[in-house]
Amino acid sequence: MKAIRVIWLREVRAFRGAFSCGVPMVAFLVVYGWTFVMMLRNNEGSVLQIQSVWGLSVAPWLPILCAVLTMRLFAEERATGMIDLLMSAPIRERDLVLGKFFSAMTAVVVTLGLSLLVPALLLPALAGPQLARPSAAAIAATSLILLLQASTWCAAGTMISVLFRNQAAAAVSSLVVCSALPIAVYAAILAWLPGVRTSVAWMPLLMHVHDFSTGLFTTSVIMLYVATALFFLFACSKLLALLRLRG
Amino acid sequence: MLDVAHISFAYGTRPILKDITFDVAPGEIVALTGPNGAGKTTLLKVLACLLMQDAGTVHLHGVDTLQRPIKYRRTIGYLSAHNPLYNDMTVEEYLTYRVRLKGERAMRVRRRINEALSASGLTDVRDTRIGLLSHGYRKRVGLADALSTFPKLLLLDDLLAGLDRPQRAACGAALSAASLRAAVIATGHELDEMLNWCTRVIVLNRGRIAAMFRTSDFDRAELIEQVDKLLADPDDAQEVSA
Repeated sequence: MKAIRVIWLREVRAFRGAFSCGVPMVAFLVVYGWTFVMMLRNNEGSVLQIQSVWGLSVAPWLPILCAVLTMRLFAEERATGMIDLLMSAPIRERDLVLGKFFSAMTAVVVTLGLSLLVPALLLPALAGPQLARPSAAAIAATSLILLLQASTWCAAGTMISVLFRNQAAAAVSSLVVCSALPIAVYAAILAWLPGVRTSVAWMPLLMHVHDFSTGLFTTSVIMLYVATALFFLFACSKLLALLRLRG
Repeated sequence: MLDVAHISFAYGTRPILKDITFDVAPGEIVALTGPNGAGKTTLLKVLACLLMQDAGTVHLHGVDTLQRPIKYRRTIGYLSAHNPLYNDMTVEEYLTYRVRLKGERAMRVRRRINEALSASGLTDVRDTRIGLLSHGYRKRVGLADALSTFPKLLLLDDLLAGLDRPQRAACGAALSAASLRAAVIATGHELDEMLNWCTRVIVLNRGRIAAMFRTSDFDRAELIEQVDKLLADPDDAQEVSA
């Protein structure tokens, strides 16, 4: 636990001053804010609740944010050679992976917290006192599914970062795995099985967000994200161990 | 103390280390020298648990590197040839991070850092950002990191590369002090300088130990001449090794 905390603190500090953290966070908030406003306008008069609009405008951009936040975690260490010093320290690979993963999740949590400012500040100004405020439980449920999705993207990004010395290559590969691949699979399913279109109107990842934001919890969905994140983290620590074999 | 037995290592099908066997006693400072590509860095990486050997064993005080790697790594200090550092941290912050990462108890961290700073002559730059330091100072930060937790085995890759004479002498003095409680293996091409403080010279060539010399058994000039001769004629080196 101590090693995880030491690495987490170091990485959070590195994030604080890193160009690769501040810029993507601001860009994410801008793009998300625009999506939020557009979604509000398009769904005027519909039954879509505010927390759903928030979740659905955040979710599509999360893989990109996570890919950019995680790209430097191991790629930078490998490029600078710092990975040698880390691996010669008396710590387990899994501690190293978890410390870095939690640091990326910290940045995601901060960004999600900031993204809540958009509805909190914008809506009272637009709707005034008629606005029905979402309950804290509804916001918490939406946050839970967003964090579950982010943990999966961050775990995948952390693992992919081990494979590269070049941060951009790591980010692009993470984007392909976290964003392009699910979309391609979904598009392929719709193309080959048009009958599914009626039952799967939205992409499942967005449907999960909508379900959770309306209070429809599914254990299997939670397990899916947790298991996927754990798989990527496990694979990441094994890849690090493999570096000792291959050099 | 350190027993290295029949170590072999290959990158893919390209053999780098072939049947390396030697041991190092506590207090010894071993200079590992040889031409570029001889396998010095790879051997140090195997000893630092950064690479896993294809064959052979490494024991430190009876602890096997493969069976108890965490315990083994707790007892070593390693300085990489590239000497990577976090440029955004100050010297003290970096050493604090490294000492904590090595599992040192919180109450001892400050003392360890002060000792390492003092041993490496870094007290006056403890609050300076590493990115602003010269090459020599950066090397000393790497050395302070390696020394910081009083390791039983110090592995120093290309310690003297790029350092001027006073800095080399300072590093030598730090190593001599460290050798009172640790065995030291330092690689490099600066044999003339290393002979000021090493007790043994191991010459590596084409992945094999070409020769080993105790510095006490030879006149300085004679030893340098012998090593130069070995390195000039690789075939001779193979014969000595055989």
